[in-house]
Amino acid sequence: MTAFVLTLLTIVICAGILIGGLLAVMLDNMVSAVISAGLASLFASVVYVILAAPDVAMTEASIGSGLTTMIFLYAIRKTQKSEASANDSSPSVTSPGHTSAEEEK
Amino acid sequence: MNENMLANLNFTDITIIISAVLIFFSIVFGIIRLVIGPDTVDRVVAIDLLTIVTIALIALLAHQAGRFIYLDVALVYGLLSFLGVLAVARFLEKGI
Repeated sequence: MTAFVLTLLTIVICAGILIGGLLAVMLDNMVSAVISAGLASLFASVVYVILAAPDVAMTEASIGSGLTTMIFLYAIRKTQKSEASANDSSPSVTSPGHTSAEEEK
Repeated sequence: MNENMLANLNFTDITIIISAVLIFFSIVFGIIRLVIGPDTVDRVVAIDLLTIVTIALIALLAHQAGRFIYLDVALVYGLLSFLGVLAVARFLEKGI
């Protein structure tokens, strides 16, 4: 009974990795795509724990879920400033920070 | 047969099963909110919920496997989820 419930949890977590990857590819909003990639990394770390590799899970937790999100947000901020100064017609990159960068200019 | 299987469960097994079912539904509803969330803020709150539920799940797996080195992973998650959500919140407000 306990093993059955934990197997069901494992299946849901593996489906969560798939959903996170698909959302990271398909979403138009850049910040939402970064958050969805963080979801895939989060559930991959749980799968590493289930596969009895806690050191790999710890590395995945610190790098994939913490560091990658901050570096991606920093990169999005930098490229939005350069795109806003170059041209204003970029409908694919839409976030609340984009309008504030235009208002400052 | 079913009554015999339920009668063999002791208190620890019942607690683990109830908590695993609660974690299961929390993960399902969090993923649903992450998929249909119309705004970025909804997805930030959803991934914060999923991180906290994941910490509980790792603690449950540590108890189930009997290897308490797994709790270090939960500790790292508890430190880093705060940083990730804070970074996204500062980005949405005015930039890092």
